[in-house]
Amino acid sequence: MTADLPSRVSALCAHLRSAHGFRLGPGETAAALAALEAVNLGRRREVRDALRAVLTASREEGRVFDAAFDTLFRQGEAPAPPQLPPLLPQTQAPLPPPPPAPASQTGDGGPPRPTAAGRAIAGEEDDAAPTPTRPDPEREATGDPDTSAPLLHARRSPNAGAGGGVTTPEDDLTGMLRAAGALVRAVELGRGRRLVPRPVGSRLDARRTLRSAARTAGDPARLRWLGRPQRAPRFLLVLDGSRSMGEHAARLLRFAHALHLRSRRVEVYAFSTDLTRLTPHLRRAVPGAALTLPDLGGAWGGGTRIGDNLLRLAREERSRVTRDTVVLILSDGLDTGEPDTLTRALRDLRARAGLLVWLSPLASLPGYQPVQRAVAAALPLLDAFLPAASLRDLHALPGRLRQQKRPAAGD
Amino acid sequence: MTAPPEPPDLRAAFRERGYVAGDALATALRLVVALGKPLLLEGPAGVGKTEAAKTLAAALGTRLIRLQCYEGLDAQSALYEWNYARQLLHLRATEAGGRPVTDADLYGPEFLMQRPLLEAIRQPTPPVLLIDEVDRADDAFEAFMLELLAEWQVTVPELGTLTATARPHVLLTSNRARELSDALRRRCLYLWVDYPSRAEELEIVRARLPGIDAALAGQVTRAVHALRELPLGKPPGVAETLDWAAALVALHRDWLDAEALELTLGAVLKLREDQLLARPVLEKLARP
Repeated sequence: MTADLPSRVSALCAHLRSAHGFRLGPGETAAALAALEAVNLGRRREVRDALRAVLTASREEGRVFDAAFDTLFRQGEAPAPPQLPPLLPQTQAPLPPPPPAPASQTGDGGPPRPTAAGRAIAGEEDDAAPTPTRPDPEREATGDPDTSAPLLHARRSPNAGAGGGVTTPEDDLTGMLRAAGALVRAVELGRGRRLVPRPVGSRLDARRTLRSAARTAGDPARLRWLGRPQRAPRFLLVLDGSRSMGEHAARLLRFAHALHLRSRRVEVYAFSTDLTRLTPHLRRAVPGAALTLPDLGGAWGGGTRIGDNLLRLAREERSRVTRDTVVLILSDGLDTGEPDTLTRALRDLRARAGLLVWLSPLASLPGYQPVQRAVAAALPLLDAFLPAASLRDLHALPGRLRQQKRPAAGD
Repeated sequence: MTAPPEPPDLRAAFRERGYVAGDALATALRLVVALGKPLLLEGPAGVGKTEAAKTLAAALGTRLIRLQCYEGLDAQSALYEWNYARQLLHLRATEAGGRPVTDADLYGPEFLMQRPLLEAIRQPTPPVLLIDEVDRADDAFEAFMLELLAEWQVTVPELGTLTATARPHVLLTSNRARELSDALRRRCLYLWVDYPSRAEELEIVRARLPGIDAALAGQVTRAVHALRELPLGKPPGVAETLDWAAALVALHRDWLDAEALELTLGAVLKLREDQLLARPVLEKLARP
């Protein structure tokens, strides 16, 4: 009854790999099959939990896995679950051929139907009802991943923000990389607390000195030192993708990508009415090619709710914001939310982050006054409020940051 | 496929020890035992990741060896160190006796100080190795662990390569303070541990505090779930729920009224701002 289970699992692995960019090779497929030997195949939920544990490596992948599993191991005539947008949009690899289906089901051209093994898992379980997955605010919107994503600057409709992919045009990546590299080098957060071996330092490294003394018959001929290294910054970018940002959002997204290429310690989030994490997409994007992101739902092209989303970020990603973190908010500050909420979020971020900087495309306009409610509420809490409307502004960031930043904690 | 060996009923064993494990966690832990692969547990603070490792050790009747990660943790601190002071004394004593010193004199087991990782792979029976808060360690340490998790062997220059006598059951926990490398993730099974549902949390409270009044347990879990809906800076975990319930039991309260709330709020909300934000919600829940 479960004769084609290995082929089903292989098909699932191939689909996750080709359509969503999961890093699954033969080793993972073999481990998945080995895992199935350790669980009760009559219990569908157990099979799903086991395969999820083996085949996924993050929470985001878990959500995609659940949808793919429910499609492939669907019960009886249960309706097909909604298809999630791919995690890896730029992958053009073809989907794996459908697993062999019974003769009665071939040629219907419809969605994959459960085969014998699928039914073995789906039909014989004692806990037949599939567990409803939690509503996922980041992925509520569903879109057709096959439709070509419209250009960002074309997304002006009143319904924008309710779904759709994002494609930024190719532009001066070299210039962006130069600006990003300069920013990484320019940030100084002072020295860390930990002591590490250094050629010259403030404290004698007794352990290493004694160890090296073994070569000179116990005489410490060469002293070893410990010192405190410069704290390496982490970056947390929060990009306003609302309609009012227009083409600036695309440019700043490219800048975020460039920063991500220059440092592995970069986290990128986008928000509009909702908030979503872009880092996994940027990690998989091909450097030099146009940056294409899947459906960002309410996180792109809609209205602006800075405070609510920053508060959510401060709450959900609290552990990511430390005194080594540089928080960059990239927004024009045209907010429809309450300034009090924004103030609360920024106060929280400021207390935890090493540096809190707001980059605004509007700030480069001649005669600009920071009178928008959100910006006015934020200004007292920021280390720097700087323009970011063009590549020139981005190149000038390191210099402007040095002039404006507050003394970092621990300096 | 051959008939699978009878897996241990970890769920029941956990339940006996007051840990209510969900389906996904029970299955993942069973795979840790069956496949011998490490399990990476991610999730918010206070959902029972560390406790899962402790309970697994108790359920399997084996030792728990814990490595607490922190920034600056290096291989030396995690694996082994030589007792330099003792070596030096031995060196001087041997020289005073007029005997030439050899390597074997200095690098014997009496001078080797085992740290958690070395200790874990030298156990005669598989222990549970908890590598706690691995996201706090540096990238370099994470890279160092890759070899250990893949090959179960380490190299001590003076002694050679030491291979695990019994492969430990490894659990890694992370609060996502930083992104872990794909290489580490690929070597591990993965499970995201979320806050439990209200029914599960009620079960946890009643399992851990058997003497608690049923109505009070229900009220506490309802209140905690209402709190998690708020935009708090530090939302309460299961540990806070248990602390709160235990505090109310210790004060002989069988109902969460305004006075009990005032006395015990610090057990569940640890930030002043959060307390201010949550007070109206809690007062509504505490109203008779």
